[in-house]
Amino acid sequence: MINYIIRRTLLAIPLLFGITVVSFIIMQLAPGDPTALMIDPMIKKEDLEAYKEMYGLNDPIYVQYFTWLGNMLQGNFGESLIRQGTSVSELIFARLPNTLLLMVVSTIIAFLISIPLGILSATKQNKLSDYVITIISFLGVATPNFWFGLVLIMVFSVHLGWFPTGGVETLGSSFSILDRIHHLILPAFVLATADMAGLTRYTRSNMIEVLRQDYIRTARAKGFKQNKVIYKHGLKNALIPVITIFGLMLPSFIGGSVVVEKIFTWPGIGLLFFDAAFQRDYPVLMAITVIGSALVVLGNLIADILYAVFDPRIEY
Amino acid sequence: MNGGVSLKKRNLFSILFALTLILGMLAACSNGKSQNTNTSENSNKEEKNEEHANKEPRQGGSLILGTTAAPSLFNPYYSTDTSSRAIENFIFSGLVTINREFKPEGDVAESWEVSDDGLKWTFKIRQGMKFHDGHDLTADDVIFSYSLPLHKDYKGPSGLPFQVIKEINKVDDYTVEFVLTEPYAPFITITATMGVLPKHILGDVPVEELGKNEFNTKKPIGSGPFKFAVWKEGQYVKVEAFDDYYAGRPYLDSIIYKIVPDANAIIAQLQAGDITYTSISPTNVSIAKKMADEGKLVLKSGVSNAWEYIGYNLRNPLFQDIKVRQALTHAIDRESIVQSVLDGAGEVAHGPGSPANWAFTEDVPKFDYDPKKASQMLEEAGWKKGSDGILEKDGKKFSFTLTTTSANDIRQQIATVAQQQLAEVGIEVKIELLEWSAYIEETTPPKWNFDAIVAGWSIGSDPDPTYFWHSKEIEQGLNYGAFSNPKVDELLEKNTQVSDIDERKAVISEAEKIVTEEQPYTFLYYPMSYLGHSPKLHGPEFSVANSYYDIHKWWMEE
Repeated sequence: MINYIIRRTLLAIPLLFGITVVSFIIMQLAPGDPTALMIDPMIKKEDLEAYKEMYGLNDPIYVQYFTWLGNMLQGNFGESLIRQGTSVSELIFARLPNTLLLMVVSTIIAFLISIPLGILSATKQNKLSDYVITIISFLGVATPNFWFGLVLIMVFSVHLGWFPTGGVETLGSSFSILDRIHHLILPAFVLATADMAGLTRYTRSNMIEVLRQDYIRTARAKGFKQNKVIYKHGLKNALIPVITIFGLMLPSFIGGSVVVEKIFTWPGIGLLFFDAAFQRDYPVLMAITVIGSALVVLGNLIADILYAVFDPRIEY
Repeated sequence: MNGGVSLKKRNLFSILFALTLILGMLAACSNGKSQNTNTSENSNKEEKNEEHANKEPRQGGSLILGTTAAPSLFNPYYSTDTSSRAIENFIFSGLVTINREFKPEGDVAESWEVSDDGLKWTFKIRQGMKFHDGHDLTADDVIFSYSLPLHKDYKGPSGLPFQVIKEINKVDDYTVEFVLTEPYAPFITITATMGVLPKHILGDVPVEELGKNEFNTKKPIGSGPFKFAVWKEGQYVKVEAFDDYYAGRPYLDSIIYKIVPDANAIIAQLQAGDITYTSISPTNVSIAKKMADEGKLVLKSGVSNAWEYIGYNLRNPLFQDIKVRQALTHAIDRESIVQSVLDGAGEVAHGPGSPANWAFTEDVPKFDYDPKKASQMLEEAGWKKGSDGILEKDGKKFSFTLTTTSANDIRQQIATVAQQQLAEVGIEVKIELLEWSAYIEETTPPKWNFDAIVAGWSIGSDPDPTYFWHSKEIEQGLNYGAFSNPKVDELLEKNTQVSDIDERKAVISEAEKIVTEEQPYTFLYYPMSYLGHSPKLHGPEFSVANSYYDIHKWWMEE
């Protein structure tokens, strides 16, 4: 097992390296540069050129790449091209806790709600509760986040005044856990609904499949109670594919969600990345890409390890 | 500045909202505060305003400004975006500021004089003015700041308006003299509005490192009405009242410049009272009007200091005939564009400029919507309908690509309308949508890779149109369509050298008349912009010149 983890980690290094090369090239291939936002009769063309020169944007792409790589390996992600004088790490660290908080909480909500619903749906297959759950999940998949978010804001924040309209904390207040939770509820719920629908369907179909297996029939034949059959023998096996989904969701913990962050004025990584893409703020883009891809690799690794935990037949 | 917030929703990057409409943004679009030169005049102003008549200004409260675009740094010599400039105007004072009518008013300077030849400007600096850290502001700070862009190591975007400065001399601790290389009318409204930096803090920093100094992002210090308090990344910037502000402590305790990237979320927050002042995007005007009718919002509007156009690339032989260009304008129904695309939030344009500033003239040739006349003019120019209904001349079809940016919904829709209307006179238009950065790269020097573009310009605190029409702006500048006319060049050169405002207006008008006659562009409309604020807030007026004029006198009811 330990060997396997080490091997996988070592394999990830060339992979990550490749990702940086490809991302770097794609970014540079996109037309335009950060000065596209500085079209202004009061700014001399020469000044813009001097700016590009200062940040090395006129260097050949391989020079730019190796400069970047050298700095990155020393833990220096460089400086924002748009926010002069602000380091990329500073920007990311200011936003990372917000994104992590939102994504982790929404994922927990999604799992906590959708797994029981999926089991219920599977065990009551083709009964009323199954239909209700199925319809709600399809509605959940079909509802766009931005619309659902705005509706919740209009109803619960503007009209009822139960929740804040956005942000991570009350303006100017000192830190308080309750205040944070209060701000977190709506965006986390909106994000969770998007995941919930899919997760419920996954759990349901896996559960149905597992319940048809011979060993379940055997367990029932042995006279085990229905609950024990479902939760001890069925659930554990039905959850294995769900772990894969969890692994796939992990990178979004860093990536965040542009739409929800935008609607709820949630200053997270998603928005930072989105803005940086439009501004051609290459160092910010690269930093988030590297962290994101590292997480994809890590997510897959964790999923593999969890397989072994849930399925004793798997050994590494 | 708020001239440009007219674009739409969706997952568009926020700065684009401001920038798409304003293809270019002039420096010092809205310069901060002003000073209290004449108390009686100021109190008159307040009495005139009926809303305020019965209420006494109150100390306290916080103004929460909602905006889609995040700032980048707070140093007027290095920032280029509207949000940074708005906040800089709370923090810094310039030698002068401009009022709501684009007129310069003393700020750090108590008074100023200009020599008869327009070359020597002498500023008397207000005595006893203090920086936020308690240091006195003197001639040394002014000279330090205004010399920065002239320094050989200076790497920043503000060089241009300082180019005309030959030398800056210290006469005494409170008198500074500027000698210019040539008379330059925008000197007072553009150059002299730049904020004064504290020399005692930045004087020892090497100039090439100033742009990245942490002064700009962590602890900017100026002499303006509000001092920097905190910048919460991605959330807000807070400035607090400066007790020793020379015109008296502001009534407001603080201003929170809140970053809300989504225009719909801004409206929701405005309704919930989480934002007390914001510009309203065109898509939300109807909701804002409803709120205003219910008394929940004060809505103010006016014409932006900007103009929108379809620009033709005169390098393309298709557009080299003046008759053809005039015919194109005749074929495009601008009134219907304003009504259907903008929902009426614009004023049909005949020429460049904007009614929002003093240099505007209505007296320009008009090419109204008249498709019959357009067809006739095209025929006179030698274009005949071919078998497929498309105009032809010498075996070539009249077909071109109209390019615009996908970041701007309104311009996309205009392109579609123009495509249909031009098809009616037998002109084939293909539409090309480019993402913002790509669009800029393709259409600006040195590529000019377009036939025609749907675009717009925003005008700064000085209406100098040189940048758009002078032939010297073709190679490097903003004259993307390569318009060139010797008479216009001559008039434009004269325009900045005339100091008398009426005389200058006549010169600009004459140049714009020729430009309009030539129709290098089809001038579409002057966009309207909207400002909404809480009924409890007193002080703001709609102004394209200076939105935050006299901000130290704004106040909030409890």
